[in-house]
Amino acid sequence: MRLYKKEGNTVQILSFPNDNVEKGDYLLIEDPRVNKKLITQVIDVQFANVPGLLEELLRDSTTEQFVYGEIFDPLEVSSHMNYIQDAWMLLCKIRGTIENEQLGVNVSWLPSRSKSGVKKFPISSLLTHMRDNGNLPINIGETKEAFRFTINAHDLDGKLNIVTGKKGTGKSHLSKLLVLGLIDYGAKVVVLDLNGEYTNLCFSSKGEKNEYHDRVHVLTPGVNLKVSLAQMDLKVMLNILVHALNLPGTSTREFRRIWQSLQQRRVFTLQELGEAIRNWKCNQHVRDALFSRYYSLLNSGFFTDNVAKAMAFEEFFEEIRKGGALILNLRDVSSVDRQIVVEYTLGKLMDLLNQWKIRAVFLFAEEAHLYLRETYWDDIVTRMRHFGVFTTFVTNQPDTIRENIYRQADNIFLFNFTNERDLETVSRAARVDSETVKSIAQDLPPHHCLILGKAVKDFPMVAKVKALDVQTMGHTRLFFTDTN
Amino acid sequence: MVNLLIEQLHYTTTLRYNFPQSLEDLQLPQKFIELSLRSMRNMESEYFQPNEMTFNQPATENFEDATPVLGTHGSFTIESIPLKPLLGDTPVAAVDISSIRIGETETGMLCAIRGAIVWKEKGRYKYLRLGPFPFHITEENKKEIYNLFRHHYFEASEDASAPSLINMQTRMGNLLERWLQLGISCSAHDSIILWDGSLTAGTADSPVKVISQLLEIARNRLNTVLAFSKTTNLRLLGHRLTDLAEKSKPPCLLQISGFPLPSGPVFSLGNVYVAKLTPGICSFRLDIDKKVPRERVIEAVQKLLGSDFLIQSYPETLRLAHIFSTFTATEVIGIQRCIAQQYGLKIIARPNVRRLLFGPFGKDFEG
Repeated sequence: MRLYKKEGNTVQILSFPNDNVEKGDYLLIEDPRVNKKLITQVIDVQFANVPGLLEELLRDSTTEQFVYGEIFDPLEVSSHMNYIQDAWMLLCKIRGTIENEQLGVNVSWLPSRSKSGVKKFPISSLLTHMRDNGNLPINIGETKEAFRFTINAHDLDGKLNIVTGKKGTGKSHLSKLLVLGLIDYGAKVVVLDLNGEYTNLCFSSKGEKNEYHDRVHVLTPGVNLKVSLAQMDLKVMLNILVHALNLPGTSTREFRRIWQSLQQRRVFTLQELGEAIRNWKCNQHVRDALFSRYYSLLNSGFFTDNVAKAMAFEEFFEEIRKGGALILNLRDVSSVDRQIVVEYTLGKLMDLLNQWKIRAVFLFAEEAHLYLRETYWDDIVTRMRHFGVFTTFVTNQPDTIRENIYRQADNIFLFNFTNERDLETVSRAARVDSETVKSIAQDLPPHHCLILGKAVKDFPMVAKVKALDVQTMGHTRLFFTDTN
Repeated sequence: MVNLLIEQLHYTTTLRYNFPQSLEDLQLPQKFIELSLRSMRNMESEYFQPNEMTFNQPATENFEDATPVLGTHGSFTIESIPLKPLLGDTPVAAVDISSIRIGETETGMLCAIRGAIVWKEKGRYKYLRLGPFPFHITEENKKEIYNLFRHHYFEASEDASAPSLINMQTRMGNLLERWLQLGISCSAHDSIILWDGSLTAGTADSPVKVISQLLEIARNRLNTVLAFSKTTNLRLLGHRLTDLAEKSKPPCLLQISGFPLPSGPVFSLGNVYVAKLTPGICSFRLDIDKKVPRERVIEAVQKLLGSDFLIQSYPETLRLAHIFSTFTATEVIGIQRCIAQQYGLKIIARPNVRRLLFGPFGKDFEG
């Protein structure tokens, strides 16, 4: 391999197929004169623009269909000529330097074109150079060279993460790995599980209880997740009414008064609430509006007057005080009820964090656009993050996540996308150039993930996500079953 | 001599159409391959300076048009011969070679030669590419190479003085071309054989005796040699020969007769025609063996019209032979790499003196 050209932070390297270089691989350009090395990453493999190639191809295409023949080449010169035809031009991005065996970002120098040598730089070596002092490794899978690939749990702590890729590429699988990895180090995790994919995390693929059985708790709204009005904070209730149930302003004001009167009377039951609305002196339209929301709350099954059945989040967190996950199973929950549950959960989380009842929580939100209200997006990035809610968005529709989320994301776990619009959306991430995202992600095989951000010290890396011995439940139900 | 060559080529005396069916039928003499290898092995250089790539350069020696200028006085006639394609499946074969300078060593020059034979058979084109064969030619070995070549191909008894180093590439190319033409003449029967160039004889590597024998072998096997020249400097009354056919209705041949025969060592063994075989702007100088009767000449060209594709008056078979022999830039780089790798030569780039002195004004093609 030889260094050919440099433009901006892009270098072009001449290579041949037997160099066996692929997109995502790291190359080291070593200039022996200055004892410096340039770390570059291959973002595209193109054919080298060899002079005369067009003539070759024209000649070959002429012969393919109408002309047949033989080549008598006893000195085997043709193999060398074919070799030249297959020359590659590797388009690489400069990622950093190694100077005195220290990793650096100073790329203001230019290696010699004539003297520099170019060689492959295995990710394992790059990881060694990173000298990550973190002691909380989460095993993600392996590198191309079958080297164990880990990220540090510290790099998810206090961070905003995105896991995205098209359907069936392994997003949820990686999310589960991250969830279990965090649990292993005592983290508290809340999963907003839209499709009930995480509900069997506590079982092995054979259906047996696994090591996480006591640490993973599945909460299904209306079944084992019910709350009483007494547990509700007015602010959370108003959020539910306004954002999930679209209660108008005037009616909200009246509800606030009703709530305060119940508070004074210390009678927080659904029945009392219904009675209070019925007897409240207010405009009939307001009453109707309040009643319709009241029945929505009632029908959600999420609220109960039975104190014995009402669960407190504090208790759930107590159960996982040494680390665990609360899986909010939102499967088969209607859109409105989903929003009610999420409003309550997030409100409650903020409340608990505010009171320092929990230190911090890792929130995994699958397809968050289906239940997260508009104002929460900014909240998650700014306010909630400071309170200790560290969110990981998991989606196969990257355009449902706002641009500012991408810009502020600390880590992006990117699986394959073929649609250019999707790639364009993800490429807005501030932690990497758009060319890298577009070029590498487009060719990622299933279960391979391009990791961008702090978890890889801003050296984008491709990892093959390891298999997980849990019941994943993420499979789509099929009509045509395999008879074999 | 002919018998010996026939033996070398495993020529069978069957009278039916017999183009080489496989490599066994048309083997290069081992001597040729050995010569290439030996010349390369004898390289004592450590360095190799690749040639700056300028392709499709005209040969430094070009005998294609070495025929003296046709008379500008005297009486001559130009006869237009209208042609009708004779439909059929007459076999058509074409031969072409290319040679290219690959680079320089401390002691000599490196060149490569490649030949191609294309034949049309039952509506399909087949080809045989021979080479490339690299040669390292030095002042020390050039005479040996040249004479070995001549002896082997043409059985020339007397040693000829080898041309200057710079002309060796062209000469060796011509010698290979003659050998391939001989091979085709010996193996084909009742066919049309297309040559690239003219039937000029009397030059060092196209001796009259050799070319006469080539044509004779072809004639004896009922083959007709048609030699197409892509370019010509021949002029008649100041006009370029090929321009004479501008107003002629294709397909036709223009036969020029009545001009005084040239005298001297270099002359053509063929009658010179202008061929305008298809509509379009191109017409070509076409040399056809003088000893072939006029009726057979016309019949041969008409058979060519009926058996081969012609684009801009140029036969496809010959076009393909040219394409298959020509070196592209990629191939030259490949050969340079092969030589550097197999013989452990270090590639160096000497400064271009013109560029050094004149910068962007130092054009390589300037004298």
